[in-house]
Amino acid sequence: MAKKKYWQSFGELNHSEAYEKSIANEFKEELPFESADKKGLINAPASRRDFLKYLGFSTAAAIAAASCETPVRKAIPYVNKPQDMVPGVADYYATTYVSGGEAIPVVAKVRDGRPIKLEGNTLSTYTKGGTTARLQASVLDLYDTARLRHPMANNSATSYEAIDRQINSALSALGNGQLVLLTSTINSPSTKQVIADFLAKYPNSKHVQFDAVSYSGMLLANEATYGIRAIPTYQFENANVIVSLGADFLCTWLSPVEFQHGYTAGRKVNKTRTDMSKHYQFESMLTTTGANADERYTHRPSETGIVAAALLSAINGQGATGVTGKLKTGIEKAAKDLVANKGKALVVANSNNTQVQIIVNAINEAIGANGTTINWASTNQQFQGIDSDMATLVQDMEAGRVGALLIYGANPAYEYFDAERFKKSLKAVKLTVSFNDRKDETTQLCKYILPAPHFLESWGDAEPKSGHISMIQPTINPLFDTRPFQESLMKWSGNNTGWDAYFKEYWVNKLGSNDTFNKALQDGVIETPGTATAGAFNGANVASAITAVSGLRKNSGYELVIYQKVGLGDGKQANNPWLLELPDPITRVSWDNYAVISPQLAKKDFNIDLGNPKSADEYEVNVMKPVIRLKVRNTTVELPVIVVPGMQADTIAVAIGYGRSKEVGRAVGAADGGTLGQNAYPLLAYNGTTIDWHTPVEVSNAGRKYKVATSQTHNSYEGRHEVVREVTLAEYKKDPEIIYKERAKELEMFGGLENFAKDGTHYPVYDRPGIKWGMNIDLNACYGCGACVVACHIENNVPIVGKHEVARFHDMHWLRIDRYFSGNPNDPESIQTVFQPMLCQHCDNAPCENVCPVAATHHSSEGINMMAYNRCIGTRYCANNCPYKVRRFNWADYTGADSFGNNQQPLVDEGNLDDVVLMMNDDLTRMVLNPDVTVRSRGVMEKCTFCVQRCQDAKLKAKREDRPMVDSDIKTACQQACAAGAIVFGNANDPKSEVSGVRSENKNRLYYVIEQIHTMPNVSYLAKVRNSDDNGFGGRLTEHVEAAAEAHGQTSGHSVESH
Amino acid sequence: MAVLKYESQVRPPLVDNAKDYHQVTEDIVRPIEAAPSRLWWIGFLISVGLLLFGVYSIYREVTYGVGQWNLNKTIGWGWDITNFVWWVGIGHAGTLISAILLLFRQGWRTGVNRAAEAMTIFAVICAGQFPIWHMGRVWMAFFVLPYANTRGPLWVNFNSPLLWDVFAISTYFTVSLLFWYSGLIPDLATVRDRARLKWRKFMYGLLSFGWTGSTKHWQRHESLSLVLAGLSTPLVLSVHTVVSFDFATSVVPGWHTTIFPPYFVAGAIFSGFAMVQTLLVVTRKVLNLQEYITLEHIEVMNKVIVLTGSIVGIAYLTELFISWYGQNPYEGWAFAQNRLNLFSPYGWSYWLMMACNVISPQIFWFRKLRRNLVVTFFMSVIVNIGMWFERFVIIVTSIYRDYLPSSWSTYYTPTIWEVGFYLGTFGLFFTCYFLFSKFFPVIAVAEIKHILKKSGESYKKNMTEIEKLDAETFYHDTHKHHHDSSEVHH
Repeated sequence: MAKKKYWQSFGELNHSEAYEKSIANEFKEELPFESADKKGLINAPASRRDFLKYLGFSTAAAIAAASCETPVRKAIPYVNKPQDMVPGVADYYATTYVSGGEAIPVVAKVRDGRPIKLEGNTLSTYTKGGTTARLQASVLDLYDTARLRHPMANNSATSYEAIDRQINSALSALGNGQLVLLTSTINSPSTKQVIADFLAKYPNSKHVQFDAVSYSGMLLANEATYGIRAIPTYQFENANVIVSLGADFLCTWLSPVEFQHGYTAGRKVNKTRTDMSKHYQFESMLTTTGANADERYTHRPSETGIVAAALLSAINGQGATGVTGKLKTGIEKAAKDLVANKGKALVVANSNNTQVQIIVNAINEAIGANGTTINWASTNQQFQGIDSDMATLVQDMEAGRVGALLIYGANPAYEYFDAERFKKSLKAVKLTVSFNDRKDETTQLCKYILPAPHFLESWGDAEPKSGHISMIQPTINPLFDTRPFQESLMKWSGNNTGWDAYFKEYWVNKLGSNDTFNKALQDGVIETPGTATAGAFNGANVASAITAVSGLRKNSGYELVIYQKVGLGDGKQANNPWLLELPDPITRVSWDNYAVISPQLAKKDFNIDLGNPKSADEYEVNVMKPVIRLKVRNTTVELPVIVVPGMQADTIAVAIGYGRSKEVGRAVGAADGGTLGQNAYPLLAYNGTTIDWHTPVEVSNAGRKYKVATSQTHNSYEGRHEVVREVTLAEYKKDPEIIYKERAKELEMFGGLENFAKDGTHYPVYDRPGIKWGMNIDLNACYGCGACVVACHIENNVPIVGKHEVARFHDMHWLRIDRYFSGNPNDPESIQTVFQPMLCQHCDNAPCENVCPVAATHHSSEGINMMAYNRCIGTRYCANNCPYKVRRFNWADYTGADSFGNNQQPLVDEGNLDDVVLMMNDDLTRMVLNPDVTVRSRGVMEKCTFCVQRCQDAKLKAKREDRPMVDSDIKTACQQACAAGAIVFGNANDPKSEVSGVRSENKNRLYYVIEQIHTMPNVSYLAKVRNSDDNGFGGRLTEHVEAAAEAHGQTSGHSVESH
Repeated sequence: MAVLKYESQVRPPLVDNAKDYHQVTEDIVRPIEAAPSRLWWIGFLISVGLLLFGVYSIYREVTYGVGQWNLNKTIGWGWDITNFVWWVGIGHAGTLISAILLLFRQGWRTGVNRAAEAMTIFAVICAGQFPIWHMGRVWMAFFVLPYANTRGPLWVNFNSPLLWDVFAISTYFTVSLLFWYSGLIPDLATVRDRARLKWRKFMYGLLSFGWTGSTKHWQRHESLSLVLAGLSTPLVLSVHTVVSFDFATSVVPGWHTTIFPPYFVAGAIFSGFAMVQTLLVVTRKVLNLQEYITLEHIEVMNKVIVLTGSIVGIAYLTELFISWYGQNPYEGWAFAQNRLNLFSPYGWSYWLMMACNVISPQIFWFRKLRRNLVVTFFMSVIVNIGMWFERFVIIVTSIYRDYLPSSWSTYYTPTIWEVGFYLGTFGLFFTCYFLFSKFFPVIAVAEIKHILKKSGESYKKNMTEIEKLDAETFYHDTHKHHHDSSEVHH
């Protein structure tokens, strides 16, 4: 075949120019778009194809636009899942809470690699699983944004290698300079070994222990009288009569968890036990323990020694000498009871004065406490610092005798009474090293900073009481480039083993095998019988002590008491918003410290008259409180005043732990750029041996006002016995049914107690088969310490709202502890205090449920009043209609869970919201959130759920194991936190459950709050029984009663004591 | 025929001066056709300014949360619900005037009903803002509507008084709007027919639904008016009754009171009439309508004010008595301590309420004062202040100190945004009212024409003529006259 040419057109055949051009063009025909070019898109005649194109494009565009949503944060699952780890199932590790010398055995709940909650370790025989507010909150310190992230030298980041090199050379070049290791009390056996090895390497070295709140006076007194510098175990459970001279042993003194448990043993009254211990408190300010006392007497702070001496002489049958009036009567009465209960009595004293403690020892000896209620076999090792050691150190530093100062766990630039002098003397030290998790006041001044891990990231141990060892094991990989303090010391003493290996070897050697070591880690505690012994009592110093204390008394002028708040303690956890927002049990104030003053002083200097309803109202409802100026020696501090009845007239009390440096963290700063509260440590006085926690003070009115965040403004329960029922032991013994009868009378017209459920309403009454969750709270065992409040916060992701929001009554606490005073505000001895934990009562006939227009709150078949947060539109009607006022509304986006994204910054900039709320939104901080509990967004209502996630867990556990649910399956967060066991929870339909047991056993003390409005709560209370003689004051501040009665034109139905 | 020449001494003419139909149309419709006055512009711009401030206040609240307001864990409702109840109450006068007075054949209502009904609608619109924007999550507000949804068997809670509110207020608004609008149609047609501008003709043409004034139209119109009046009448009673249930069905001492429904209704009419007075005293002056909204109207309404004010006063005293007689310590406290006690934090608000609502309206027992415009205006403002405080007292002083003294609150004062929201509703109300007075006849032209021949100078003149006739002629003439009257309406 020849080359045959096929052609389609003449153009192709002839290769015309037009043809060549046309084949170069891909689309031979004009594209329809051109018409659009000419006429504009809108007017273009759209062909079917165009229509489809436009349709396709616009659909695609719409889809693309619609798929723009908030960025999705992915949780990436493990590629290689660690063995034994199930996502969503919590692991528990035994470890130890450590703050300074304080140590409490705990169990850490770890969810997906993050510790999120601490519970007490029930295997510990002395804490028995009790916790404190600070312990509960400490898990947040792990995720604190202010934590140091890398080692620093001269304020710039460096490496451990460089630091090790520099320090090793500095230490070898010390010359005559002394090497001092300054720490808080160290009671860890392994750490003590490391320190001993380190000190051995450097001959000219010493270890100084400095406790912010020291018990030097007690240690020295015990050394003087018993020949042992140690603090014994106080066994409150063995005491029928307890006298406390200002010691707040239920909340802040020495070992409150242990004492709460022991004390409670003597306070519970039920069917079988109709007697209770008698607790006298002699103090100046109203401490939380004093608030729980049966009888309380006040005296000037400087009179503590005289009171002790008077008590001793009264016990010895010589009458209370040196005191007069009510105080004398009280001391003699207490002495009589102590003597009558010889061997079953205990006297404790807060004083840090050696002489006072010597007298107290003599009293305890005289009443046979030694060996019965005081046990020397196991000593308390949490506070071993002696104040004079620190004073000596400062002198040494000033004199240039100290060449190197290594600081761990202590913060003298803040905690030392003469911090300025310490700071100045620090400049004379060549080598300063701080092991700390944050740049606190002391660390800022140090040359080398080695970030210390949090206890939840560390290996370690503690021996808070001799014979009671508690292990520390890491629960999370260290978050930052931290190095244990021990490892640094080991490195600098030439031991390169590494702390982990050293620690394990130490304990394997001590315990004998790997298995026992593992068992110890698993249990968390190793308990061996105590071996310490005290010498016989040596009373030689008592007479001189009595002489010494008689000279301490100040007869006139105001005196200042410096104390610890149960929330913040000595201030080591000052950047913890949970603790800052925890209202003080007595004053109900959060976020700040303040001057607690007596009603007399308030009346005299500030024109606030608590006895006058109008004046009291004005003071209560106004968040702006007058400011007082306190002058001690050369230090002046200005603080807002909080008036507390029960304060001795001339006593002013200020808490430590506040007024921190900004570097401590975001939470300590005030909105105005200053700090929250004022530092009270500089107000302490040093008597040459020990620090005095009281001092004379000059006061004046600063003439300005300061906003104080108070979550409860009214002090009295106004005789509302349906809210708080209290009775004296005498009344109770006389008629055990007194409470029961009172209830019966109130319900008489609604069918009486028996038929109240049915006859108190027009509505049908339903059976409630299956599980019915119920809670019982024993007012006799609630001391107001707030551990439950913080535990609830943590367990349920309750938001932090900051000071300004608390001041606006926007606090979010699901569980709060109401505090009421009764008595005459001008007579401190007459003041009685009652604490009442208040949470959602989970009413069977819940008034909140029927008013919600969208049924967002409703009742579960198990008796829980529930919230469907997603359904809530935020009308707040439920909160209005809640008689217990326990519902909490998300007024702003406190959690960063808002539908509108993070828009709080403008509010913070305007000063309407505190910066700390943003701190709680940080990714790091949010690691603490409990994944089992929804984080609520702005605009929804929330409240106590009876820890429904735990209830669900308990049911599932029982179901999985194919058995009925039992009490041990479920503990609410508040219940678990309570060291006193005030709260029991369980299935009230199960007659064998603890809550049913407590209710039936205590039928005579049982009551429901404002029962007669027929809400049928599922939280029952046991009335408070006070072992006092008088009848109380009917729950009112008496001068209120009279005024109210006048206003009513009728007399109150309740008896009113006249004064 | 002297018997026919009856000139009542107590019922003076409803329209002053001898107006004929054309004059009526001229007087009332002229302001719509003329350019708005300087005064109108000033008032309108102030209103719009307030409205914008309100919009911004709400924007703040929605963006940042209800925390922009000073409500707290104890006081869940404050200015928001106070204002809601207050505005709802104000609306009541309009409905009462248009519906109940229509059924009772009160001729004087024609002078004021249009403005009063408009006021009702605007007040209900304002009232509605509060329950909507006071929600924490307003974007979920539609949850309150019982609509078929994909959320499973999820329904609204029919037990909740707030849900009853949703129904009550929406029904009220719908019926009031229909009533008002159906009354407007003949007048809008009048405006349309007089219009010279194209757009005006077009717009009013649309609005008047093609009204031609045929007998059929009139017949249907009258029937519809009666039906709507019949529907509205129970609403006058029911709406505020339902609103009072928000409080009466709760357990809060001071809220839980069975007297609330009648007491709220009386209070609503009281405040509503006061608001009508406030508006009309100004409107008649500004729009030059003194001949239609006469002193007689003012006086009649002042009588209603003194009556309802006294009912409210009795209700207050009854409440106090029952709180003492009932011996419920919590309720006793709410009344004796939170309210009566002048020295308690909110005692002043209770006594202010007492002074404004109970004591001050008693001056209207004097005819001279009833007919005094300045006094009337002043009193109408006082009454509305008093009624605002009544709601505030009920809401805030009850919940701020209820069962548990531990939760007794700090002092509640509103933030600027709470106040802004309230001012914003004033802005909304007056913006609407100004627009209404500019674009709609503020007096029902057709209805005025209805009464024109039964009241006023022309009526008297007419009667005098008739007097002169003998019975037979009269019989004949009245028939003729009646025949004529059916054609007069335009």
